[in-house]
Amino acid sequence: MRDIPEQITLRQWDQRYKQMQKAGIAQPGYGGRLSRHVEDGDQRLLKLRYDNSAAALRLWNFLLTEEDRLREARDRGKKIVGTMKDLGTVPVMAYSLDDVVAFYPDGAWWIPCVMELNAGLLSIADSLGIDESFCPVRAMLGAFVTGAHFPIPELLICSVGATCDDFSAIAQRLNSLGYPILWWEIPHRREREPGEESVKLPGGFSAPRCQVEFVKSELERLRRALEEFAGQRLSDEKLSAGIKKANQVRRLLAELRRLVFTARLCPMPALEMLIAEMLAIHFCSDREETIAVLKELLAEVKERVKSGTGLLSADAAKIFWVNPVADLQVMNLLEDCGGRICGTEYLFTHALDAIPRDLPPMEALARMALADPMVGSSADRAHRICQEIRRFDAEAVVISRIPGASHCALEGQIIGEIVQAELDVPVLEIEVPSLTDSIAQALRTRLEALVEAVRERRKR
Amino acid sequence: MTTLCDQMRRGFDVLIRRCDAASFLMNVPSTWQNLAAQNLYVDELRRLGRFLVGLGGKSPTPAGLAEVMLEYDAVRASIRASRAYLSARQYAEAIAAFGRDGPDGIANYLPGSALLNSGVPLAIVGGPLMWSDFDIYDVVERSGGRIVLDATETGERGMCGPFDRRRIREDPLAELANAYFGGIQDASRRPNSELYRWLAHELAARAVRGIICRRYVWCDTWHAELQRLKEWTDLPVLDIDVAGNTEIERQRWQNRIRAFLETLT
Repeated sequence: MRDIPEQITLRQWDQRYKQMQKAGIAQPGYGGRLSRHVEDGDQRLLKLRYDNSAAALRLWNFLLTEEDRLREARDRGKKIVGTMKDLGTVPVMAYSLDDVVAFYPDGAWWIPCVMELNAGLLSIADSLGIDESFCPVRAMLGAFVTGAHFPIPELLICSVGATCDDFSAIAQRLNSLGYPILWWEIPHRREREPGEESVKLPGGFSAPRCQVEFVKSELERLRRALEEFAGQRLSDEKLSAGIKKANQVRRLLAELRRLVFTARLCPMPALEMLIAEMLAIHFCSDREETIAVLKELLAEVKERVKSGTGLLSADAAKIFWVNPVADLQVMNLLEDCGGRICGTEYLFTHALDAIPRDLPPMEALARMALADPMVGSSADRAHRICQEIRRFDAEAVVISRIPGASHCALEGQIIGEIVQAELDVPVLEIEVPSLTDSIAQALRTRLEALVEAVRERRKR
Repeated sequence: MTTLCDQMRRGFDVLIRRCDAASFLMNVPSTWQNLAAQNLYVDELRRLGRFLVGLGGKSPTPAGLAEVMLEYDAVRASIRASRAYLSARQYAEAIAAFGRDGPDGIANYLPGSALLNSGVPLAIVGGPLMWSDFDIYDVVERSGGRIVLDATETGERGMCGPFDRRRIREDPLAELANAYFGGIQDASRRPNSELYRWLAHELAARAVRGIICRRYVWCDTWHAELQRLKEWTDLPVLDIDVAGNTEIERQRWQNRIRAFLETLT
């Protein structure tokens, strides 16, 4: 069943779902009406607009059934690791083991948005002294306390060091509530100094050899802990196989991003692309299914590009987006304002870059961990953003601050300055809270002004 | 600067863009429970050494380093010994002067001979205080209290413990790292359980009756500890959050300290 691509509401999706059923389009086990998730409390879904492809439906259902998947994994005797903050490295290790599932409790930061604050997680965080001056990831504390949003992992692993203070402080608070955490150190990435060997990292950054060796030793410590936890050896062979699978996900995403961000007509909306990119960090608790979901999404995009169909206006302003949004609806809003996403840096580019296969696996993973945009300087981040802006021919940049996130206070300014100096493109810095309803008009005005500026510049 | 918080890391990013002065960002590990973290700290000390040599400094011999360490150790011991004979402000100033100017800096802080033990014994915990913030000690004293435990970053908590003389002879750099990295307990450590162990010991030893938690509003690290501190201790905890040095803000925290002490006296 193939139709003209468009963005539809949840209600329209239900009608369309019925048609799909009649047409006999197969759905995976977790498939079904999207609106059933509203019955579970995901109220925000009522206000979003979705791509109308079967591939997008599968993507959404896959995302919104993760909790069920985790509970099912536990029921089937699989071991669950909660990996925190590193956004992409530890899950590659964990999924290399048999019968181990890893996920990021950090993902709870979207619960206040998706459930429109009805889950009460932020109130629980408040009661623990972690108020609104912290990043929305504080919702994670509430999710642990209630135990209602994911099964409590048997092992928690958290990276600290050159990570954001908000998360580090919140994880420490979690630890003080009686949840043991295995901490590992990620140093602040720096340039090599005279006499030091420089090592190239995925994505183009570099670091001195000693930092790579240090991270490798930290990951070796995690390997031993994971082996003990899983009761099995995590050999280099297993790790290599795990890296190969992770790279399969990354290749699919790379192709998807390339096609979507460079097509004449946008073949997949920003919201679905954001969700798709997020799959890279822990495979939404099912690595094989992630690959299947992305393959279907890529096939849909290829078909649309081939047939010259897509969404949004052909003259939509091409926007590069920096940082993930706490309110998913803002992705829709950008498109309403006449923009389309052509390039993203959602703070986990290291989970999108291919992991080197020509190196011993722990060395490769150490290099990947050090390529995390957050562990280096803001200038490093900005230069990579500039490269990507050139690659995707983006015409403007939106830096989306995360409320309360202390790293955002200064880095946005630095990134903006560097991007403007290098590329002379307009930069807009906004702040996106978990629910933007009360500031939607102001956000709309600012995004419209940016789009207008882009269109004016085209006339030059 | 160091990597201990977002503000410093991103502040360094700004600094190197706006300023031509030689600058160095020292990577201070957050973890401490394994040897690799300590080794990283030692490596960073060596890197700092190379940076300073590059600016014209001289690399000390092990014996020379040991000598300086012992001199500093003796001064730290004398500062600690003088605590009961100095006002809380003088004590904080002596520590600050030592940190800024080395042993010569404390010449002006000669303790009196009388024990100063009036006022309700309080602890102050939190991040660093600047010299201009030291009037908080005066306000506490004027309100009937006395800071007997300065657990701010710039106070007694930020002074490393005594060196082990045998280990200084064997490997002074390792002992330096051990005393600083292993001996200064901070909220930014992961886990930071040792901070609470240290606090438990010091609060009891000094018969503290109340705690002032002084934090910057943008400091997540200390902000996140506030509620935990309240849950952890039986002592009353006063939260002083500061964002600047305006007169209105000063009046606010001064009033809060006065009210806090009224409840304790």
